[in-house]
Order: sequence, then C-alpha cells, then structure tokens
Amino acid sequence: MHAFDYTAPESLASALAELEEAGDEGKVIAGGTALMILMMQRLVRPTRLISLRRLPGLGRIEVVDGGVRIGALATHRDVETSPLIRSRIPVLAETLSRVATLRIRNVATIGGCLAHADPNQDPPVTLLALDARVRIAGRQGERQVALDEFFVDYYQTALRPGEVVVAVDVAFPAPGNASAFHKFLPRTADDYATVAVAATVTLTPEGVCREARIGLGALGPTPLRARDAEAIVIGERLSDRLLAAASEAAIRVVDPIADPRGSAEYKRQMAGVFVRRALRGAWDRASREAA
Amino acid sequence: MDARHSHRTRAHAERLTGGESLEQFEGAVLSGVNEGAHFLGLGWVRDAIRRIAGFDPFPGTLNVRLVDRDALPRWRELRRDAGLSLTPPDTHSCGGRLLPALVEGRIPAVVVIPEVTRYEDEVLEVVAPVRLRTVLGLRDGDRVRLEIATRHVVVGKPIPRVEGSEKVTGQARYAADVRLPDLLWGKVVRSPLPHARILRISAEKARALPGVRAILTADDLPPVLVGRRMLDMPLLARDRVRFVGEPVAAVAAETSDVAEEAVALIEVEYEDLPAVFDPLEALTAEAPILHRDAGAYEGAPKERPHPNVQSIQRHREGDPERGLRQAARVFEHTFRTPRAHQGYLEPRASVVRIDEAGRVQVWTCNKTPFRLKEQLARALELPSERIRINPVPIGGDFGGKGFSTDVPLAYHLARATGRPVKMVMGYTEELMAGCPRHPSIITLRTGVDAEGHIVARTARAIFDGGAYAAFKPRPNVDLHGGHQAGGVYRIPHFEAESVCVYTNSVPSGHARSPGEPQMIFAVESHTDMIAHELGIDPADFRRRNLVGDGERLATGHRLERVKARETLEAALEAGDWRAPRRPHVGRGLAMSHRFAGLGDARARLRLETDGTVRLITAIPDTGTGAHTVFRQIVAEVLEVPPDRVVVSVGDTDAFESDAGVGGSRVTRVAGHAVDRAARAMREALARGDRTLPLQTEARFSVNETGTVTSFCAQVAEVEVDPETGCVKVLRMVTAHDAGRVLNPIGHQGQIEGGLLQGLGLAMMEAMGAEDGRISTLSLGDYKLPVTKDAPPLTTVILEDSVGPGPFQAKAIGEMSISPVAAAIANAIFDACGVRLRDLPLTAEQVFFALQSRGGTR
Amino acid sequence: MTLRIRLSVNGSAREVLIPSSRRLIDFLRDDLGLTGTKEGCGVGVCGACTVLLDGRMISSCLALAAFADGAEVTTVEGLADDERLHPVQQAFIEYGGAQCGICTPGQVVAAKALLDEVPNPTEGEIREWMLGNLCRCTGYYKIIESIQKAAGHARL
Repeated sequence: MHAFDYTAPESLASALAELEEAGDEGKVIAGGTALMILMMQRLVRPTRLISLRRLPGLGRIEVVDGGVRIGALATHRDVETSPLIRSRIPVLAETLSRVATLRIRNVATIGGCLAHADPNQDPPVTLLALDARVRIAGRQGERQVALDEFFVDYYQTALRPGEVVVAVDVAFPAPGNASAFHKFLPRTADDYATVAVAATVTLTPEGVCREARIGLGALGPTPLRARDAEAIVIGERLSDRLLAAASEAAIRVVDPIADPRGSAEYKRQMAGVFVRRALRGAWDRASREAA
Repeated sequence: MDARHSHRTRAHAERLTGGESLEQFEGAVLSGVNEGAHFLGLGWVRDAIRRIAGFDPFPGTLNVRLVDRDALPRWRELRRDAGLSLTPPDTHSCGGRLLPALVEGRIPAVVVIPEVTRYEDEVLEVVAPVRLRTVLGLRDGDRVRLEIATRHVVVGKPIPRVEGSEKVTGQARYAADVRLPDLLWGKVVRSPLPHARILRISAEKARALPGVRAILTADDLPPVLVGRRMLDMPLLARDRVRFVGEPVAAVAAETSDVAEEAVALIEVEYEDLPAVFDPLEALTAEAPILHRDAGAYEGAPKERPHPNVQSIQRHREGDPERGLRQAARVFEHTFRTPRAHQGYLEPRASVVRIDEAGRVQVWTCNKTPFRLKEQLARALELPSERIRINPVPIGGDFGGKGFSTDVPLAYHLARATGRPVKMVMGYTEELMAGCPRHPSIITLRTGVDAEGHIVARTARAIFDGGAYAAFKPRPNVDLHGGHQAGGVYRIPHFEAESVCVYTNSVPSGHARSPGEPQMIFAVESHTDMIAHELGIDPADFRRRNLVGDGERLATGHRLERVKARETLEAALEAGDWRAPRRPHVGRGLAMSHRFAGLGDARARLRLETDGTVRLITAIPDTGTGAHTVFRQIVAEVLEVPPDRVVVSVGDTDAFESDAGVGGSRVTRVAGHAVDRAARAMREALARGDRTLPLQTEARFSVNETGTVTSFCAQVAEVEVDPETGCVKVLRMVTAHDAGRVLNPIGHQGQIEGGLLQGLGLAMMEAMGAEDGRISTLSLGDYKLPVTKDAPPLTTVILEDSVGPGPFQAKAIGEMSISPVAAAIANAIFDACGVRLRDLPLTAEQVFFALQSRGGTR
Repeated sequence: MTLRIRLSVNGSAREVLIPSSRRLIDFLRDDLGLTGTKEGCGVGVCGACTVLLDGRMISSCLALAAFADGAEVTTVEGLADDERLHPVQQAFIEYGGAQCGICTPGQVVAAKALLDEVPNPTEGEIREWMLGNLCRCTGYYKIIESIQKAAGHARL
C-alpha cells in the first residue's frame, strides 16, 4: 500500500478540523473494510487518513424522539445484535445479519456503509424502506438528509467536502406496520445480492395499505426507491393482481448492470419477483400485527 | 448354535478384526502331509496361538485348496502381508504368521502361514480348537467356507494426520512464510492487452524510486522458453504479449509496497495486434496466429492441422461411421464449460536465495520438485546439482501447483541484486495469470440400437488452452479428460478427438482431474438426454450399457474386476432413486471412472538408534494425507506403533528423481515405494541386521495402467424455484468402488473435498472474461462454495481387494469431482424439464429456459 | 509516517514503531514473525487471515496495524495453552478438519471465537458463523464435525 499519514483524533471537532485541513488529500476511515480494498487496488490514494475510531460515543445505539439513533461507528454486528433493534425494528437486524460474513460485520460500520454508497450493499435498501434520515456533521454544524436524497450516484453521496456521517435515525414502526427484506443469493450465502428488496407496509385495521415504501438494491447506480410501485399499493388490499402491478412498476425504475451475479435482464426480472415477495411478506406480517 | 457359542464366535471375530467385516474365501478340503501337527506341537507356537487367538489349538491342521481362481491374487497378498507374527524364541526355528478366521461362519480358527511350507501357495492351513474334519463331517473334496480376518492393525484405521499439530498451531511453514535475512520482494509488471507488440519499456521513474533494487525485462534474460512438456513460454514477454496478465518486467525492492509502486511506474508502450478469444474462431483460416511456428517448440506434438493447435489426440475403435449408419437412432448434443480456477487458498509463492557456495536454494509451492529442478536447470542454464528445492507444505494444489513460473524470475532478481528474493502472487494475479481449468466445447454424437444399447459414438472436444501450452505436463500435451468421451460404457464403435487450442487468454493448466469434469458433464448429460428421448429410465439405460467384467471401454481398454453395476446400484439405493418426489424436486444420476496414476517414486527408511523409524519421502505435502498413509504402511509392515514412524520430506538432494504429486499417483506409486522400503527393512531385521541406524531404500515405477479401474456413481436431489430458477441441492449421494481404504479420514476427506469442488464447478465457478480480460478478479466475484453450500451427503464405500496400490488401495483424489455437474444438471431436468448444456448451472440459465418453455412441467 | 502503537499480541504487551500504512497482517507476519496467519484472497473474503481483535474475529488483511493500538490481538499462535492444544485444535487434528492446512489457522481462530460466544452451537450456527472461512480441501464436512466435537469436549 502507498504511504500516508494517519491520525486518530479523540473528538469530532478535531476530526472535522483535520479533515478540512487535509482537503482533497484526506479521507476518513472507520472500519476500513471498503477503503482498505480501494487503497490496495490503488483506486483511492489519500495521503492522509483520519481515523474516526477513537471518537467517543459515536457507536451508540439509542432511543431518540420516537425512534432509534444509530451512531455512525456502530458496526453491522452491533446493530444486528442490538436488543433494541431486534425488538423494535427486527427487519433491520435481519438485514444486517445477511451482510457478507461475520468478520466483515464485526468491523464495517453503519456510517461507513452509507458514506461508501455502493449500490450493491444491503443496509441502505432496508434503511430506505424505513425512511431513515442521515445525520451529517461538518465544520458548520450538523444537518440531516433524508436517505433517499443522500445517494447521488455510484459511490457518490450528498456529503460535502469536510463532512462526515455521524448517525442514522430510524423511526419506530407505527401500529399496523411491518417490513420484509429479501436478498437474492443464487450463488453463495456470502455474496453481494443479485437483487435485494425491502418493503414496508402500514395497514389499516381493515387491511388496506395506508403507507408503503420499497427499497431496491443492486438495481441501479444507487440504492433506489420504487415510488410508482408504492403508489400503486397505497389505498389497496392485497391481491395477486396488485402485486403484479407493483412489481411491473418497480421493474420500470431499475437500471441494473450485468456482473457475475447476473445479467441486467435477469436482475430486472428478479426485481419484479422480489418486490412481489417482499411486499407479500411485509403485508402478511402487518396483517398479523393488526389481528 | 447356542447363544453362548454365538457370542463367543462374535467376540473372536471382533477382537481380531476390530469389529469390522471379514473376507470370504471358499476352499476344497485335501489331505495333508501332517506337517502342521509337528509345527503345532511346538510349545511356543501353541502359546502364541493361545495368546493371539484365545484358544488351545487342536494339534493338526485342516488343509484347504482355494476354489475361486480369482481369489488367488488376493490370497497371495494376504500371505505376504497380513496377519500377526509368530516370532520364534530363537533364530534357528522357523516362524510364520497367523490370520484369524471363522470356519463355516461359526468356528473360531486361525490360518497358519509358516515361513517354510511344502504346500503350494493356494493351500490354506487352518487350525481350530477342535478337529474340524470331525466337527463339520468333512471329507476330501468337500467345500468349506472361510472368513478370514484380514484387517491390518494400522492400515485401514483412522490415524490422524502426521502433520496435524503443525497445521493447527500455525507452525507449518509454507513458501510465503519463509523469512530470510536481507530479503527483497519481487513483483511483476503484467500486460494490460491480450495481444500486442511491445514497442518500448521505460523504467526510469521506477528505478528512481527509493528502495528499488532491480528491474528486469526480457532483454536482461537469456532467450529461453519454459514449459512442463512443451517449451513455448518466455520468462518475460519478448517483443510480444499474448494474454492480459502476461509478465513483461520484474522488479525487486526492499518492501512489497515499494515493489508494487515500482510496477505501477514502469511504462510499457504497445501496439495492438488482432486477438482471438474463442477457440473455434482460433481454428478458422482468418484467425490471428499466436505462435508463428509452434511446431518448432521443444516438446511440441508433431500433428498440427492449424497453427493455433497446441495438441490433438485421437482414439478410434471399430468403425464409428458404419456404427452410426446402422444405429436405430442417433443423438447429437454440444456442451460448454467455462474457465475455472483451482481455488487453492495459497496464492503461489516462491523464495530464491543464491547461497555462499553459489547454489540456488528454492522454496516454492511446487508439487513436483524433482521436475522443477530439471526445468530450472534448463531455464537458468545451470547444472542441476547447483539447484536445490527445499520442501515446504503446499497450501492446496488441485492440479495448479505443478509449475513455478516465478522461480526463474526470482532467481534472476536474486542474481542481479545479490540478495534473496521472495515473490508472492496476489489473488488477483492468480485469477488473471494463474493456470485455470480449460474451458471446453464438447460435441457428442451417439447411435443406439432398437434395444437401447449404445452402438457407436463420435466425440469432439475443443479445449481452450490459452496463450501457452506450457502448463500441460502430459507427453501428448493433451488432457486426460479428452480420453473419457466413452464414459463408463461399452461402445463398440468409437472415435474421439480432443484438441487444445491457442487463444489470447490466460494459459490453461491442470486442475483436479484435468478435462474430466468437463467431459463427464457432457457425457453424462448426453446419456440422460438419450435415455429421455428413448423413454427409458436413466438408471436402466445405464444398466444396459455399463461396461462389464472382462469387457472393453470405448477406448478399447479391457477391464477386469469391474464394479460399475454394484457402484451404480449402491448410489441408487442410497439416493432413494425410486421414491416419490415433491413438486419442483428432481433427482439426477451420473457416473465416471478413473485409473490410479503412473510414475516412479522413491522412499528411504532409517531405523534410528532411539527406535524411531524415519521415512524420507520425495512427495511434498499437498494436504491429501499421503504422509499419514505412508506412516501407516511403514507401521503396518514393521509392526511398530504409528507414532514411532516419523515422516520427513527430502529436498531434491535427497534423491535422484521422483515423479512427485499428480494424476492420482501418490498412494499407488509412492505408497508402493514406501511399502518396499519397509519390507526391505523387515527383511534386514529378520536377517538379524541390528546395526543402527539401519537404512533401506526402494524405488517403485509403473508405466502400465492395468485392467483395474475405480467407479463412482452419484445421485443429486435438487429443488428448483420456478419463479427465480434458483437451484438448491437438497442432498447428494456419492458411491465409490474404492479398493481398500488405507485411512478412512483421509479417504473421506478426498471424497468430500472433491465433491464440493465439483459442486462449485456445477453451480457457480466461472471466470468471466471480456476481450481476454478476466472480469472476476477477486474471490468476491469468483465465488467458491462456502459452508452453507455443502449439501447433506451420503457416501457409500464399496471396498474390495483388487486395487493396484499397496494393500490393494485404489485412487480416490480425483474421483468425486467429475460426475457432480451432470448429476445436478440431470436432477434439474427431472425437477423442471429444463436441460442445461452449459456450466455453471446458474439460476439465470434455469430461469430463462423456463421462460422460453412457458413455465414448469 | 511512523506510528507508535501499544498492543498485546497473544497475551504479551508490546510497544512498537510501524509505518502508518502497515496492514495488521503484514505487521503480524513480517514484523513479529507470526506467520501462522495467512494471506489468501486479500479482500476479506476467504478468512485465512482471521485473527481476534479484542475477542472479535476480523480479517487482518483489511485492517491497519494502527487499528490494534490499545487492543488485544489473538492469532493462531496464541490458542494453545503452553503445551496443551485448544480443544478446537485437537479436534481439527482428530476429525480431519485440516488437510492442506492453509485455511486452518483462520478456521481454528474463528471456531474458537464461536465457542467462546456459543459454547454448544447447532450445526446451523456453525455453518453460519464459519461462512466466511473458505476451505477448498475438506468440503467443510470435517470442519463442522471437528467443531461439534470440540464443543462437546469443551463442555466436559
């Protein structure tokens, strides 16, 4: 690997100051699972690495205003095994448990995952469906961005130079709400998804969909929302026809690329299948909740 | 038979066999010369029998002549090998051996093998606590059934790995672990283009980098070509590159980081040349020619119908054209398999040091060190005595560790710098520029008669050899699998052609069972497709066509002691072949066979003053457990506890030559060498030679395949998700005609590992390429099976005593990999009616095939 | 840039100077000579480089040595207790969990971490936990069996 300077500041303020000072030459590192590979492949060559690993309190998972705040340094494994997440937002724990392997989940952080913005990753898919908000800190202070405005393009986010992700906020599900996450892995269990779909639906006591959100992974340059499909199911009751219509609408928004996990056409087709499955899964759970 | 007697009988058998089965022999009673009575009259003999067999012997033997002539070779083996020693108390008496036995399934007995006897060797002398003639009412010529406990004391037992402790503690030192003072790191500049002329290489920037100690290009090296058989590959590309990843320059630097930095700073100017990637296209008249005069390369096969042909092999038996003309029906299908990496987890690593005496000391993961020494002597233009290959364990071979292309580069870097040099490939380099399994295009055309018998077949296999043939070791520069187009069937008229072709792709090499998983996928899919067309159950169709005892394979090779049918039936039974299935679930069947390998091996034994028996073998540890089997053989023959036997690997100074590891050869060839060395020591000791250390040495060489092969039959059960095409392997059965199993842990490990590699080839392993650039350049993209992919597995072992190896062992390492893909493909067809002809059998392929059929059956 | 880090490796405290770009795996293998930890894929997939960082298993090929500052690192060399092998190591020998041995250090470190957290895992839990430790020799069956046997042993 190339040579670089490395510092591990012990406060967010000094981390941000160092980052500003480093400018284009600087990169923040936390778990490092993605950045290390990019550096070894010589795709990224920062001359200065600012480690967030010593920042106090940034790995906390805590209840805030009707939801949970997951600190950016919380690892995938922390979230997956958090009793709070498991009991209140089980789909998130489930999603995290499907990411790569335990060794990666022990190290990779939630903040790093979002900032890396790889469209093949799983957590953004579910976090999109859960309407998560990203908390961002910079020298000018903190700001919040809705997750579906956060991802801009391949490996590009709404983070401005000098900013870092500090947390992601997820609201607790409303009554009548349930979610499902489907990761399609036709090769091995540790692979990236061929397609990943998360769906969340909120039902009225009568079984009518009041609210729905669908997140899509590995299906475009960023994690996607299937908004047309969401619009189709809102106000409706579950039926095969409805699911077929929703999955057709979802297929229209995807723009996958061919890779060893499947051709573009296959991924498009699978988007339809898994939107259907995820919606039905979420719906079934929500009706059980409502019952 | 009363209960007590029965109990005692069983206890006798169990004590003597460790609870395992007995071998059956049948003989006819004959009158003796009463020699046994004299022998049994000796006090020490009676005592020994009492101690070993647990009974007082009746002072007379029952003499029995073997009836079944086929059993004679086995009995001769036993006479030579098996049983427990009868050691006389003094040197002037004759000893012998005892084989515990049951007579007529109930009377405990021993078969006595005196060292000196007047009988021919097909006569068995049986001793029991009773007079057998009386108890069983036997007269001369009567048949009598003997079950002989032939189990060896050490051979056949699950002895743990000799080297287990070093491996689990991290103490085992592999090539990449070798640390030397003043070590430099070597790295290679690789071509980014598939076919191009090198115009200029500028290394000034790299040379200026602090820590860079040497940079070499082809101009700095002698113009030698290297190869395992055919010498067609330069050490560094000279004037021209022929594949993406081809080494163009080599760098030595103080650290691997600096070496990598230097590699990135070396600028090479190229001029693109037209390239060819499809082997069929490479054989057309317009195709770019990779090697102007490949026939002139040393070791190149003579026949060369097209300049892009590396090798061509033909087999012809009978009159296939007439056979096909006369067939009731003819079927033709074409199959394709992709490029696949061996998937060992140890990327290739080499360390070279030129010592004070000017000797070239090499540490590298190479499974044929003696061949490597000769190859290096030529490549480095040095006398072979100047080269020494030091043994290191090999972190996975699977065919890929037979050639070390980095060693000559490391040597030249070491020579240029005067310091030792280490070169370790990254896995990206492994995937880009290793020596993967040959991609193939295989067309089979088969004629069957009205009764469903295969009467004729023609086969054509095109193997994509990549840019160089250098990685293929066989004398004909072809692949073993090219010879397997007839499968396990009796086919009177047969013609097979197998062609390895140059393309502008990474050179292909050997991979576990070279060419066979490709060919068996084609043959066994084809077999099922024909059965389906004929409306015959795939198992029945195979039963009709399986090669039988004394019959010939399609290649004309005559077989004896054939267990094809038994192996098939065992797999079918364990796989519940006829049981009802749920919707979307299917079962598939496939078979293969393989001979044990040939070659020569040496072994040396030394009985040390502390009583340790040290085996020095030339066989490197590739992880198969060979050293443990060797330990067992030595312990068995010398009758010492296995932990008294220490196994060490000799460097290339220790022996003159040795074929090394490969081709399912080790147990058969090196095992016999070890066995001979041990027997020589036993004889020396019996002669009273007690000068320690006592050393014996043996060589074993075999060039004839022989008439005994080994069969494998597998059943796969799969479930297909009709919405996604996703295939889940619910279970697998693998049945093996195994000869004698020398170590059940190691044997089973070979079966399981091979099976999962077969499953990888079947389901996921494929190196993608675009214009000659491999697109799966990490193990994140090139997926190998993980824990969750290992399906529930039933193994059936059919043991017998006809293998060509020591103690009648057969080969196992390359057996279980080959039928898997066809078994799964056939199961997919059974589950959903989709027939896939290309590997891997991806969900995507199944999905689109289902789509085009308009849903499931 | 040179960094001074303090860490404990297999129970012994160390204070060392390292280049800031040193990977943990290179630090262990080349600086400390602990070559039991192997580099396979180099991208965190294969598990040959598995070590424990404060008890959690990680890929040492994807970690900077700097990450171990103030932490406790356990490698395969640290599993045996004096002369006594860890039950996982013993079981891998007895039940055929090791063949060529190149993945074995990573396997036994991962298995130890599993048994530390789940003393009596089901087969499913073993397969899940060991998902990221590739083995090309065994087909995993004997690795799973070895871990089951080690768990049984550890219970005694």
